[in-house]
Amino acid sequence: MRRDLDVRVGEDFISMTNVEFDGKYILNFGFGTKTEKKVFLNTHSDKKVVMDLTCYDPKEFYAEFPQLAGVFSALFCDEEKKIEVHLRSDKEEFLQKFKELEFNPVETRILSHGFIFPRTIAQIINEAHFALSENVASREDIDRAMKFGVNYPKGPFEWSKGKETIIRTLLEELHTSTHDPRYIPSPLLK
Amino acid sequence: MIELNKIVVIGAGTMGSGIAQWFAQNFCSVELIDNSSEQLQKAKSSIEASWDKLEKKGKLTASDVARMKELLSTKSLEETSKDADLVIEAIIEDLEIKKTLLKKLDSHFEEKTILSSNTSSFPIHLMAEALSDKRKGKFLGLHFFNPATIMKLVEIIRGKDSSDELCQDLYTWFNEKGKKPALSADSPGFIVNRVARNFYGEPLRIVEKDEPEMMREVDRILREVGGFKMGPFELMDLIGIDINYSVTCSVWEAYDKEPRFAPHKLQKQMVDEKRFGRKSGRGFYKYD
Repeated sequence: MRRDLDVRVGEDFISMTNVEFDGKYILNFGFGTKTEKKVFLNTHSDKKVVMDLTCYDPKEFYAEFPQLAGVFSALFCDEEKKIEVHLRSDKEEFLQKFKELEFNPVETRILSHGFIFPRTIAQIINEAHFALSENVASREDIDRAMKFGVNYPKGPFEWSKGKETIIRTLLEELHTSTHDPRYIPSPLLK
Repeated sequence: MIELNKIVVIGAGTMGSGIAQWFAQNFCSVELIDNSSEQLQKAKSSIEASWDKLEKKGKLTASDVARMKELLSTKSLEETSKDADLVIEAIIEDLEIKKTLLKKLDSHFEEKTILSSNTSSFPIHLMAEALSDKRKGKFLGLHFFNPATIMKLVEIIRGKDSSDELCQDLYTWFNEKGKKPALSADSPGFIVNRVARNFYGEPLRIVEKDEPEMMREVDRILREVGGFKMGPFELMDLIGIDINYSVTCSVWEAYDKEPRFAPHKLQKQMVDEKRFGRKSGRGFYKYD
């Protein structure tokens, strides 16, 4: 991995980081507010950008920014560095760059707000926080139950540790766009 | 540490026989009970066959298997030792039938005997209504996962009258024996059946429509990116769409129709169309 690019996984990886290459492409990693993401695209309108949009509706961004070549979600990736990617142009260049950075991009054709993996585990994590707030069980026992009762690769609190703000933002965005109260975040997700 | 040597398991279905097998494998004496002597014999033979197989594979020694076979017996309720340390009921999920059984168990067993239920759907405090006051502290939920010999989780459910100390002692005991216990309050779905609901509910809302290609894609992403062993749609087909839908509805009702637990319209539609999953040849996917 090219250490000079400062693209890491885990908690270090949450702030916005850019990787520019071949003079016309940018990979934009990390968490940001919706406004920050849009300002970034507005100020880089001459480049092809592929952006981490874990929390926001990619359809809205695609419609507004023609130079947005694709979207991905890396905010939940772990040591295996697998990331969900949707690309609408310049596929080869961007997939190649992800691989150079030692990511394992997994392409999807489904363009879903919150992608597939983050959206699903955000709801599992949310429920675990509601259960915790109602004193159903301890964090440790909830993690243990999900790992050893239904074979989850990680417990909900192991997934969410240090990423509570991102999960909360994703749920609030889903709530705003769907108006479905199922996405109201647990008060413990701060 | 608490001593559990004599175990009684009531109900020789899939869960009951799995639980009985696990205890015998941990060298507890186990009496397996069922209304149907045919079912009892079937369960016993299948447990013994499984031990023989494990012996052949070199996972168990011949002397261990011989000992386990000696430790496992089948009985009728009337013949059961009254001095059991722990009784686990794993009979049909019907509250009234369970309460009638618990009442019988309460009068049959000695005062020291711990009574427990493997229920996944009924509140422990409701079942406890069938018991005498002095037994209530010694009654709790012990929720095993299928297959009980493989899945390490045991949810220990503390009802409102269950003794805290007893729950802690059982937690320690199961932990020592290699299980992964989790202590849960007596609330609907306990831990797993509540927290896991959205592993199904959310993917259903991502695809929205009855489109197998989309479902295949969601299953693939959750396996490849998420690290889950099975995707939600293939797993629902395996569990049974009817069973999954019924658990979903029961948790949703128990939480006063909280929107986070709401079933998806596709689930009901499939049950109406008798698309129950693998067992009926068609669920989200088609099976030959």
